[in-house]
Amino acid sequence: MLHELPLVIFTIIAQMSVGSFVVLGLIHLFGARAGRDVIDKVSDPALYAIGPILVLGLLASMLHLGTPIRAINALRHLDSSWLSREILFGLLFAALGGAFASCQWFKWLTPGLRQALAGLTALVGLGLVWSMANVYLLPTVPAWNSWATVVRFFATTFLLGSLAVGAVLVVTAEVRRRRGSALDEVSDRVIMSSLRGITIAAIAMLGVEFVVLPIYLGELATEGSAAATASVGALVTTHGGYAVVQLVLVFLGVALLGVFLSRLVERPGSAVQAQLFAIVPVAAFVLVFAGEIIGRMLFYASYVRAGL
Amino acid sequence: MTDMTKANVTKANVTKYKQLGFYVDQASCTGCKACQIACKDKNDLPVGVTWRRVAEYSGGGWSQDQSQGTFKANVFTYYTSVSCNHCEDPICIRVCPTKAMHKGIDGVVGIDPTACIGCRYCEWACPYSAPAFSAAKGVMTKCDFCQDYLAEGRDPACVAACPSRVLDFGEIDDLRKKYGTTAGIEPLPDPAITKPHLVITPHKDAQKSGHGDGTLANPAEV
Repeated sequence: MLHELPLVIFTIIAQMSVGSFVVLGLIHLFGARAGRDVIDKVSDPALYAIGPILVLGLLASMLHLGTPIRAINALRHLDSSWLSREILFGLLFAALGGAFASCQWFKWLTPGLRQALAGLTALVGLGLVWSMANVYLLPTVPAWNSWATVVRFFATTFLLGSLAVGAVLVVTAEVRRRRGSALDEVSDRVIMSSLRGITIAAIAMLGVEFVVLPIYLGELATEGSAAATASVGALVTTHGGYAVVQLVLVFLGVALLGVFLSRLVERPGSAVQAQLFAIVPVAAFVLVFAGEIIGRMLFYASYVRAGL
Repeated sequence: MTDMTKANVTKANVTKYKQLGFYVDQASCTGCKACQIACKDKNDLPVGVTWRRVAEYSGGGWSQDQSQGTFKANVFTYYTSVSCNHCEDPICIRVCPTKAMHKGIDGVVGIDPTACIGCRYCEWACPYSAPAFSAAKGVMTKCDFCQDYLAEGRDPACVAACPSRVLDFGEIDDLRKKYGTTAGIEPLPDPAITKPHLVITPHKDAQKSGHGDGTLANPAEV
């Protein structure tokens, strides 16, 4: 199960970064009514957190290399290798994201131009996830060479992106409250409606993952080649226990958030709920993050190649 | 021979072949693995790095004679010696992000150790396990068709070492004229994937790629 650990970290972190960026963008779009300043104040800390995490992820990918000093050579075969394209999109996403975060921090450019830059960054980020998935569509590896790889990578992107943003939003609010610099009521409402949207997105992505998995396994099990059969054995038999833990963790995380939020709507304002407010979204994120890490480890553990 | 003359010989050989290929006679191979060891010795390969491997493919069981009620064994095993097949459509070159993997002289698939970053993507992709990662060098390594031997007019180490004379090499068109065009035998993959420059004379129990009911008996060795 410890195959390719640097790649597990790299792919999960890069996808979470893209997802977070897109979710922050959606919060800006849907929250426009509350006013740009309010949204900026609420969401900028999350934006600034993406950068260092993404850089860590990119560095982790270099640990996979035999000769990391020449890592830049990976950009030399853009016309044919998805791995080259993945690295290009990764660097572009990091650079554009960094530029956008700087513009937000120093208030460079007009708000309109900043928004255009953010849109471009989000598109490049989605391109990163797309090329990432394509790296694994090798005709010689039936367990990876599936539409499910693409769908699952995007589901991970939006699931982790949503929950990561949710966690950072409540932690930021809590830190500000303790410092005595709590935001106004409008900001609180933005956080609440963001959390609601995040929970709905997380439930939807959970649904996608739970529907895709049995279809994918069924296709793999009936594909017929020795490599596909061996991959099913690895996923269901050898590492079947991990698969169960993965599903339970992801389900618990999303369910926890959903139940908490519905209670909050039913009986707003109780003291216990205020205490839990900062904890539950973070716990939900931790559970789902752990589940997704195990899921990605299983993805690499399912590698069996056709032929010799 | 001095280095200088060696270089001249190599130069003279640049256009000797359009496309080199290997031939293996499965029907006569005893699975002794002398080819594998000769390759390891000639190229001084460390433990875990193998440029030529011998796959042992086994299967079968008991079949019942209904009229007599008796059983007889129909087990089989055959061997396939495989190195890099210097394919026509090499998936390793397609996926390599650095262009380190390339088609060189005589159609030999080579790796530039000064460009390779050791990402091992070619190793994931190649259905013949041809590219081998060298932990000591931090880059991929692979069969170079013993181009130094060829330049001296000698056979590749594997071909020269075979006591059963089941290996041959040469211009792929000549090999195909002489031995046929079969390359899709279990446990090797469907040749349509990479179009290997390999010709096999099948063993009498050989099964077609994708239609095998046996298993690779020595997975740790290949």
